[in-house]
Amino acid sequence: MTVNLLTVVLFLPLAGFLAALCLPRASSEASRRWALGISLVTFVASLGLLGWFDRSTGGEQFALDIPWVASPNIHFAISVNGVSLWLILLSTLLTPICVLISWRSIRNRAKEYYAFLLLLEFGLIGVFLAQDLFLFFVFWEVSLVPMYFLIGIWGHDRRIYATLKFFLYTMTGSMLMLTAIIYLYNLAHTFNYWAILRMMSSGEIQLNSQEQMLLFLAFFIAFAIKVPLFPLHTWLPDAHVEAPTAGSIMLASVMLKMGTYGILHFCLPLFPNAAHRCSGWIAVLAIIGIIYGALVAMVQPNMKKLVAYSSVSHLGFVVLGIFSFTQQGLDGAVYQMLNHGISTGALFLFVGLLYERRHSLEIADYGGVATVAPWLSTAFLVTTLASIGLPTLNNFVGEFLVLQGSAIANFKWTVWASLGVIFSACYMLWLYQRVFYGPTGEAVRSHVSDLRAREWVAVLPLLAMMVWMGVYSQTFLPSVGKVTAQVLVQSEVNVPYRVETRPHAEVARVR
Amino acid sequence: MSADIVVSNFVSADMLRFLPEIILTAMGTALMVLEPILNKRTSSLFGHLSIAALLAGIAGAVVAYQHGGLAFGGMLRVDGFATFFRVLVMVVGILTILPSYSFLKRQDAETGEFHALLLFSITGQCLMAAANDLIIIFIGLEISSIASYILAGYLRDDKRSNEAALKYFLLGSFATAFFLYGVALVYGETGSINLSVVHDLVAADPGIYGALMGVAAALMFVGLGFKVSAAPFQMWAPDVYQGAPTPVSAFLSAGPKAAAFAVFLRIFLTGFAPIGRAWEPLVWLSALASMTIGNFAALRQTNMKRMLAYSSIAHAGYVLVALTSRSEVGAAAAMFYLGAYGFMNIGAFAVVSHLSGRGETRTSIDDLAGLGQTQPMTAAMLSIFLMSLIGVPLTGGFFGKFYIFKAALDSHLVWLTVLGLLNSAVAAYYYLRVLVVMYMRDPVESAGPVEPLTPGFRLALIVPAIGTLFLGIFPSWVLNFAGKSAALLK
Amino acid sequence: MQLWLIPLLPLAGFAINGLFGRRFSKSLVNLVAIGSVLLSFAWVLKTLYGLGDLSSAHVEHYFTWIQSGNLSIGCDFAVDRLTAVMLLVVTGIGSLIHIYSIGYMAHEGGYYRFFAYLNLFMFFMLTLVLGANFLVLFVGWEGVGLCSYLLIGFYFDKQFATNAGNKAFIVNRIGDFGFSLAMFLIFINFHSLDFATVFHAAPGASEATLTTIGLLLMVGACGKSAQLPLYVWLPDAMAGPTPVSALIHAATMVTAGVYMTARSWVIYTHAPDAMHVIAIIGVATAVFAATIGLAQTDIKKVFAYSTVSQLGYMFIGIGSGAFSAGIYHLVTHAFFKALLFLGAGSVIHALSGEQDMSKMGGLRKKIPWTFVTMMCAAVAIAGVPPFAGFYSKDAILVAAHAQAPWIYWVGVITAGMTAFYVFRAMFLTFFGEYRGHEHPHESSPVMLIPLGLLALLSLGGGYFFRVPEFLAEFFHAGPEAPEDFTLVAISVAAGVIGIALAWVMYLVKPGMADSFAGSVSGLYKLVYNKFFVDEIYDAAVVNPIVGGSRSVLWKVVDAAGIDGIVNGVGSWARGVGGVLRHIQSGNIRSYATWVVFGSVMLIVAMGLAGGLIR
Repeated sequence: MTVNLLTVVLFLPLAGFLAALCLPRASSEASRRWALGISLVTFVASLGLLGWFDRSTGGEQFALDIPWVASPNIHFAISVNGVSLWLILLSTLLTPICVLISWRSIRNRAKEYYAFLLLLEFGLIGVFLAQDLFLFFVFWEVSLVPMYFLIGIWGHDRRIYATLKFFLYTMTGSMLMLTAIIYLYNLAHTFNYWAILRMMSSGEIQLNSQEQMLLFLAFFIAFAIKVPLFPLHTWLPDAHVEAPTAGSIMLASVMLKMGTYGILHFCLPLFPNAAHRCSGWIAVLAIIGIIYGALVAMVQPNMKKLVAYSSVSHLGFVVLGIFSFTQQGLDGAVYQMLNHGISTGALFLFVGLLYERRHSLEIADYGGVATVAPWLSTAFLVTTLASIGLPTLNNFVGEFLVLQGSAIANFKWTVWASLGVIFSACYMLWLYQRVFYGPTGEAVRSHVSDLRAREWVAVLPLLAMMVWMGVYSQTFLPSVGKVTAQVLVQSEVNVPYRVETRPHAEVARVR
Repeated sequence: MSADIVVSNFVSADMLRFLPEIILTAMGTALMVLEPILNKRTSSLFGHLSIAALLAGIAGAVVAYQHGGLAFGGMLRVDGFATFFRVLVMVVGILTILPSYSFLKRQDAETGEFHALLLFSITGQCLMAAANDLIIIFIGLEISSIASYILAGYLRDDKRSNEAALKYFLLGSFATAFFLYGVALVYGETGSINLSVVHDLVAADPGIYGALMGVAAALMFVGLGFKVSAAPFQMWAPDVYQGAPTPVSAFLSAGPKAAAFAVFLRIFLTGFAPIGRAWEPLVWLSALASMTIGNFAALRQTNMKRMLAYSSIAHAGYVLVALTSRSEVGAAAAMFYLGAYGFMNIGAFAVVSHLSGRGETRTSIDDLAGLGQTQPMTAAMLSIFLMSLIGVPLTGGFFGKFYIFKAALDSHLVWLTVLGLLNSAVAAYYYLRVLVVMYMRDPVESAGPVEPLTPGFRLALIVPAIGTLFLGIFPSWVLNFAGKSAALLK
Repeated sequence: MQLWLIPLLPLAGFAINGLFGRRFSKSLVNLVAIGSVLLSFAWVLKTLYGLGDLSSAHVEHYFTWIQSGNLSIGCDFAVDRLTAVMLLVVTGIGSLIHIYSIGYMAHEGGYYRFFAYLNLFMFFMLTLVLGANFLVLFVGWEGVGLCSYLLIGFYFDKQFATNAGNKAFIVNRIGDFGFSLAMFLIFINFHSLDFATVFHAAPGASEATLTTIGLLLMVGACGKSAQLPLYVWLPDAMAGPTPVSALIHAATMVTAGVYMTARSWVIYTHAPDAMHVIAIIGVATAVFAATIGLAQTDIKKVFAYSTVSQLGYMFIGIGSGAFSAGIYHLVTHAFFKALLFLGAGSVIHALSGEQDMSKMGGLRKKIPWTFVTMMCAAVAIAGVPPFAGFYSKDAILVAAHAQAPWIYWVGVITAGMTAFYVFRAMFLTFFGEYRGHEHPHESSPVMLIPLGLLALLSLGGGYFFRVPEFLAEFFHAGPEAPEDFTLVAISVAAGVIGIALAWVMYLVKPGMADSFAGSVSGLYKLVYNKFFVDEIYDAAVVNPIVGGSRSVLWKVVDAAGIDGIVNGVGSWARGVGGVLRHIQSGNIRSYATWVVFGSVMLIVAMGLAGGLIR
């Protein structure tokens, strides 16, 4: 029964997608309702997942392993752990919200639109579940296609440039990853992640340090492009600016996490020594990303671009946390993934709402919105405060843990990274001032109305999550902590190459 | 008494093993004869008949496989490998005929001759697939080629078609000559034209035969490389594919190519296997060159057929990667890939032929603008084929690439793999551009209405689409067979 | 003891007014807002009464907030003597100012919004003082910053108001940068953020570590408590409604830095260098701000700079190891400075919004109650015995003299200046002839009653609330340094001289001030323009960062650099494609040539390669 539940969560969106294709093209209403229904059911199912998930052990649960292709030996192996659980809930929570938010804004070819949205959900959930490297790659690519169409068909003016850039950037990375995956298979003769991990830690597979480094880089570059880590980030602003609101939300909230999740789930445990050797460089890149993203965000005239660059900055914290190799750092990184999903998702949502009303993304076209739309402004303010890490709201917990972790690893990192916290206040508050404060222009007065009931339904869950995650992190952190602790152990374990570098190997190898 | 001797002679195992060729030749000639008798109204009958023949041929191939073994004193070798390619080329034939109904009607050029030539060409390819003897190979090559030369120029009153035919013919025969020299050289060296014998002799002492066998291999590589449009012998492909009638281009890009690769694998992995270390670097180079030239040149194409021509050059490059790995795994990968390629590429061409309009005036990529709205079904199918050509998972093209590069890594061709995969990232660009035009541009009013979808043509799209997805989701069926057959190679 | 009720009551008030206030009548809003604060004040009294003498801290743990590895942070509140003092000041003064606001905000828009923010502030301020570990303190710390941001920018359609709000928040963020770094170091060294654990372990740590931590904490305090070089936000913060200036930017929030440093006294006593730096910053700020205060014409600006300067005093106290004296001054300052601001508010209210003292004068007859009460505050801040300011200021100065005499002397000069500019303000406002065109009217009782109460506190607060005695054992203070009457006399004299000087310059010989200003016009301009500090910051920090980000990072690095490379690769590929396409001449002879060429190469190569096989 439990096993079925996970497959239900995974395949409901796919079924929804196929069914949506058969819906009548004429009635976009039907597609909307269908998408909403399916995504809600999926969300409920994932809640069930949460209910039955045994949080006392954060480890892999609801495992399912069916042979798919005989040779090479590919399995349909999925399972969920204390980290992916939350990422899945994030996806299943945001999809219905995206449907709601597109309700009025998407008029042409609604059928395909909602179909792709569901397919996207399928791909994203799959990425977080796959325990078979090949299956992981399949989902990784599958999630790419609907996003390509979402941006390319329903995007803004420069959508085609943006969507091609997005696809090719990611494709390049994926190809390196595919090479690495095949290479591993030829050594291990299985794609099963855990089997490979076991072989590596038990020395059945022996990689010399150069091999390990190259494999690590092949995986890491693919993930770093998705994150995106400076300087591989330039696809992000374009993709975000051109994407429709729902596209931006899914992209920022969930898709970027594919990269960081991949680093956490695959790069560290599989290639610990390479990871440790690169950690210095990567941390520096992450810090550059934090500061650079914030500074560039500060001077953007376009709201979406501003939020996009802020994502570069936020994700920098995640990467920094991961490569601090400390419990706090990893926990903070994972928590920050979720936080960023909620708060930045909300930011894009609000920007979308403003665009729906005023039909402009230029900050200069706004001003004085607070007078005409007080509740919208209040909600946006809360989100702003969340994303600049105000205590009692979600991001603070994540940022604090990440910075504490990196401080333990190397205090200088934290000193620099903390600058990002200052700048984040600068760009967000300046944005808020220019958009919501000041005298109300005529265009704003006549077009911008306050939140509608349907929009409230979409907004409230996010606001609630911001407060909940900020005040009572214990709902989430324990299960996360168990997984990250295990990752830490695994990223210590590596026979035989480790032996020459890390003396206390024997202790660490006990798993 | 004497009668049953005749019978027993006639239905000897040799004949059974030769069954597909017999069926196809018979039907081919029959069509020639029928043509003057039947009048235009029943013209689609030719199509039905040849499809029937091909289905029968496939059945024949299966029967032949059950009675597998050497035939005609070792001239034919009917093994899994042969059967795989026989079936493949015949399926390709069917996939070619399905869309050609409406195409020929539109060009009002429905004659039995078209189908007859098609069947003959396929016969030649079946022969190549089963040949175990250099001369038989050559004969098969010629039968297949000559028929396809004519097919390329099938639209007599179309200038481009004629030009294509001429180019194809001149260069083709030029290249075949090289192949023949190669055969001669091998015979002169080893005194045999039977691949098994050649293999044993050379394997016994590569030292003696090294140099001359190398030259022979080179000569044959020229001939076959031309047929599969591998660099540096790919020039003809774009002109011919663009000029030839679209169904013919589709056929050329899949059928003869598959057969030629069958021969390639047979010769180079048996006869020339012992001197593999000698030819591996050159095939390596040729593979990389084909991929790069094909993909990069395709980036700038505005004509759909020409773009697909370059892409087919690139895909030849991928298959050569499999050959470079010089292993059974590689051979199996190549077989699988050619199968997948047959489906997706013919599918893509089918869409082109569907949209090309009378006199093939509308074959530029821009003519696809807004297809997503005007004819979603067609657009969706084309997207599947393109996704497969890109190599997106859950399509045959992806598994094909995957197996090939897996084989390459098995043989430690790391750089070729990386370069090849990055190549396919480049390739993504021009395939995606087609998707962009179809879905992200609005239809051009001036272009006029799109050909409506006939039920028959739906079939012509759905069959390859299903094939592509099937190979993408349940690849093991085909792959296992390919694996077994590849094992029988030596 | 249900400590959580203390902050939660105002929070409830905020929630109710914030969500439904718009539909409420003013009286209902008042009931919720002021009711919640008075209740929480009452609850403070009850709690403190219940806890008896707080010889040891009373801690309450509610739930684990953050738990990761060996890092575990609880949502804990604690009450000890220091907290008790702060609680009384915050809730007491807070209540008075809430009541005052009823009258002051009566005619302003966004009435419910104002009180909601005010309640929210109370919540965070109480969390700040109740927190039992650095992180909970930090929650309040950031929260009060937020409320100050919201209330400074209360009139959000005014550019200067929202600018001031942003400035306040961002400058505070710079301070918090130091504070958070300090917290990280504390955890690294003591594996906990709980006050009890940290301060118990602190004496064991190396002095270098403690000095670093102390200095970083001080950076945070400088932001919050507007010390050099981060004081710049406080004067601008006057853009907010006057009760806000009184409550947040005079009485409570800005003293958070003083509270936090006093709270970390154990760290400082083991890091004398850090303490010395604090003393220097304090005295520098005190004299610097006082100087600027001399020349301001905006009544609120005068008191703003006075606040900065007085906070400097408190830092002198902390820096001289007289923590209790610092807190003592914090308390008395809360009384008289709140009173000064509320009085100023009453004046502004009377003149319907006029803040420029050059348009005032002779108001003592028109608004006598305001005049009388403000006069109490003036004598208190001037350090006239036996009023509140006298006790606390002298406690600090005496301690400073024990530490470093020069600090004492600078402090004395500052005391003189303070007396001067406060009475200058008083004389300009209430004496002489009325120079404005409004029709001044005395404020309503609801405003005057809080003024009266604060006046009593300013007069007797210093004498009746002997904070140092109360906190002596908390700070493990040794026997009180013997009162040195010469020192006291000197500082008092300085105050009196200041008053006399102001009296001469602005009452006896009006115009003498202007002629004096004229005679040193260069210096005067410099002071009048606040030493151009804002301009310097803009030119040196803000503009380079913004400009650099726009013209270098974004346009050059991102657009031209990285994206240039990306698109460059793309167009390069297309270029290669173009070249390859041109090889495709379509000319059959050239093709044949290619074939021959290719085959010859191939044959030669293969012949050789094959020949090499042995």
